[in-house]
This record gives sequence, structure tokens and C-alpha cells, in this order.
Amino acid sequence: MPDLLAFQVDFAAALRDGARTPALARRLAGETDIVDGRMAIYRANMVAAADKALSAAYPVIRQVVGDEFFHGLAREYQRVTPSTSGDLTGFGARFDDFLASFEHTQAMPYLPDLARLEWAAHLAYGAADAPGWDAAALAEIPPERQDAIRFQWSPGLAVVRSAFPIVRIWTIHQPGFDGAFEVDWSQAETALVARDGFAVTVTRCPPDQAAFIEASLRGASLADAASDTLEHHPDFDLGAFLARALAARLVCGATY
Amino acid sequence: MTAPASPVGTGIGLRQPHYREVFERRPALAFLEVHSENFFLEGGASMHALERARAAYPISLHGVGLSLGSADRLADEHLARLERLVRRVQPALVSEHLCWGAVGGVHFNDLLPLPYTGEALALLADRVDHVQSVLKRQLLVENLSAYVECRDSEMTETAFLAELARRTGCGLLLDLNNLYVNAVNFGFDAAERLDALDGASIGQIHLAGHSVVDDCLVDTHGAVVCDPVWQLYMQACRRFGPKPTLIEWDTDLPALDVLLQQAAQASDIAEREAAHA
Repeated sequence: MPDLLAFQVDFAAALRDGARTPALARRLAGETDIVDGRMAIYRANMVAAADKALSAAYPVIRQVVGDEFFHGLAREYQRVTPSTSGDLTGFGARFDDFLASFEHTQAMPYLPDLARLEWAAHLAYGAADAPGWDAAALAEIPPERQDAIRFQWSPGLAVVRSAFPIVRIWTIHQPGFDGAFEVDWSQAETALVARDGFAVTVTRCPPDQAAFIEASLRGASLADAASDTLEHHPDFDLGAFLARALAARLVCGATY
Repeated sequence: MTAPASPVGTGIGLRQPHYREVFERRPALAFLEVHSENFFLEGGASMHALERARAAYPISLHGVGLSLGSADRLADEHLARLERLVRRVQPALVSEHLCWGAVGGVHFNDLLPLPYTGEALALLADRVDHVQSVLKRQLLVENLSAYVECRDSEMTETAFLAELARRTGCGLLLDLNNLYVNAVNFGFDAAERLDALDGASIGQIHLAGHSVVDDCLVDTHGAVVCDPVWQLYMQACRRFGPKPTLIEWDTDLPALDVLLQQAAQASDIAEREAAHA
């Protein structure tokens, strides 16, 4: 193995496991105890980078569990899911799975869904800018083609289902929220994550609308998505929903 | 390889809490610097802020994640995203660090020190050549702050960078705080190292603050520039002439006015030393 690669392999091992420092120390100048102290600085930097990246994507979970516990989560998540990129934007992609399986978060079973919600909001924040799509354009599609319409939903749009009141939890932890800090834990909520201009919006999504959007996001045609939805939600009002969705610029185009 | 006209004068790092104030006040600055990786996004508020910044100031893209010195591979997908950003932003300056950060598919997202050996120099020269050909422009490579030193080093970091610039035509981003941090951590004379550099290769200077942990200076970019670093800056200005100079601040971000005061101090020094040159 070339020397440079061998050095980096030893350095990496010492960063991830303090017990591996002696193999590296032979390659470093200075007294062993000083080298130990200096490697601790690099180890702290490594965890700080994970904490910072996760804090940017999961500000609500950070508030819910507290800074100190969150730092511990960041350390453990990084240990089991090390970063693979020089860009930490995608680092937290598997935080939901981690929270679902980590022993010390089992008493907070809503955390994985809250993580999915925050991750969807994180992705929406940096999603492509898209102009809305004019309702008039929909009306211009010939009636015989309308069943075959496939909507292009605005970049970043996502539906996050939960058995917990995740939209409420998210809302009361937003900066500037000054309402009552109460949560009705019996509420199952589905979130609709979208962009309004440059702002990310998180709203409660009724089950019928969620079903329609999910079917459509999977690639179903307007007719198929509507019939799937109506099968489980016979009161679904497609026309009213589409008018609202277009007005909110949730749709940015369509093929038919 | 020629660089586009570089902005003469002093700039600051543009960080999210200052966006609004910078756009409203439009302080007189030669350029704004951002971390490249924070803008590897398709769209949204951050990209919009960068577009606004770009309309008002020359931009310097400062990368922290390309990991030029990783022995096993250069992350081509990372370089491709940087290339896309460079095309979109048309920055005045593009810089990276003389460091490694990843091995075996694991990224430490830190700026880790290299042994300054012939082997490392050959690798870095190949990488810098490749990056410059992909970006179609000159890259500035920054000296690192470090807390450990490799026993195998065959030359100083300064000599390594000077040779890298000679081989590849890259420029140097001379971080005087990093040089000072290392001088204290490893016991060398920073001023002497400055004397070994060729001013023509220096494309930018960074000034920043650090913190002290036990016996070690840690490069936190979270404090004002200290007196010994201002002294080095005077020496650099006298020796190399005026260079685009950045006040770099990343942690415990203070009020914008603190950054502007530091920038004004740097501009004063550059002007005074130019008058003496």
C-alpha cells in the first residue's frame, strides 16, 4: 500500500476508534500524550460536523430532545451511518431509520415520523424553483385526454403519513410560534410538505387528498389516481381539490 | 492558465444570519465569500440569496469538501457539482484546501493534514491539474491549520504549496491565521515561512480568529483577528503587495458590523503598507 494511503487508513481508524491511535502515533511527530490530545480535537470536530448538519435538517427534533441528547444522537448516528460525501446536505437521509431502531429513543415513538417530515422539509428547501401551472392550462386540455393527465407536482412536494400529531408538533416548534403549547396525542396526522415561493410549508393533509397525491406521485394518471382514491374515500371532491392545488401552485405542469 | 480579474480589496464571508442586512445596507466590500457546498442545491432560498449577492458583489467560492488529497480517489461527483456551481455563479475566485478528508468511502468532513512528501506532491499536482481542467480556471489552494504533524514530511507545507503552484499553475490562498496557529502548535517562525513564498502565486489572503484549547490553538473562525496575525498581514502586504483579503468568521457569528470593522482594519493596513512599499 502506498505510504499516503496507509497513513490515511491509520488516521481514519484512529479518528473512529481512540484505541487505534497508537498505530497512527508512530507516524506523527510529538509525544504520545500530546498526540492523543490533538487527535481528540479532530474527533470533536468530526462529531461537531455531524451535529451541525443534523441540526440544520432536524431543528424540531433538536428542540424536542434537547441539545445535549441531540449531540449524543448525532455522535451515534455518525458512528453507524458515517458520511460518504464532502457535502453534508444529504447526511441525515437515514436519521428516521436510526431513530426507529436506536435503543434510547424507543420511548419517543413519534420521532421517526417527525424525522421523515423534517427531512422532506429539508429537501423542499433546496428543491428546484418552479413556476406554478395555470388552471386555464388544465381547462384547455381536450376532455377526451383529461383522464390520461399525469401531473407534475412542484419539486420538493411530499406527503408524510403518521399515526402521531406530527404537523402539530412541527408547528408549535417553529420560530415565532406563540400559541398554546398543547398537543392532542390521539390525533394521527398526515403532512403535506411543499414550497410557497422560497418558504417551505407544512400543512395537515386530509386522508383523501393524501391518497390522491400519493397515487399521482407514483405516476398514476388522473383517472386512475381518482378512482383509487374514491374507492377508499367516496366523498373525495376532485374538482375542489384540484382548484385549491393549482391555486397553491402545488402543480407545475402535466403530460397527457 | 489565467485567472479572471480578481477583486482588489477586502471581503467578508456571507453567512445566512447576515443575508438580509447585507442586501439592505450593501456595505462597500470588494467581494463576498461563501462555502461552495452550501450551494450544491437546485433552487430555494439559499440559491436565491446567492443570486442576489452575485448581482451586487464579486463572489469567491470556498470549498471545504472536495478533499484534494484523499489517496484512494477524488470524488468526481463532488467536482461535477462544483463545476455546475462555478458555471452558474461565475465567481471571481475558487478555492480549496491542501488537505484530505475521506478514505475508504468514509468522509470525515474535516480538513485533515497530509504528510508533505514527494508522493503526496505528485498526487496533489495530478488532482489540481484535473480540477483546473474540469473547472476551466485557476484554483487557489489554501494552507491548513493543523493539530498534528506527520513524521514522514520531507518539506514544509509552505515549500510544498510553492512547488504545487509551480507545477500546476494553481494559486495560493494564504491563510495567515492558519499559518500562525501552526507556528504556535508546532513551534516554527511564521514570518520566516512567509519569506519563502513567491508573491505572484498568492491569489488571496484569509484572516480569521482562533481559540485556545489547553496548549493548542484551534482554528474555529469564531473570534476577532489576533495581533500577531495582523502583524503577519502587515508583513505580507509589504512583501507581496495588496491581495484580495477575506475576514473569515463561521462560528459564534457576531453582528455584521464586527465583520465590517475587521474588514476596514485590513483595508487600512493594506493601504498603509502599499504607501510604504
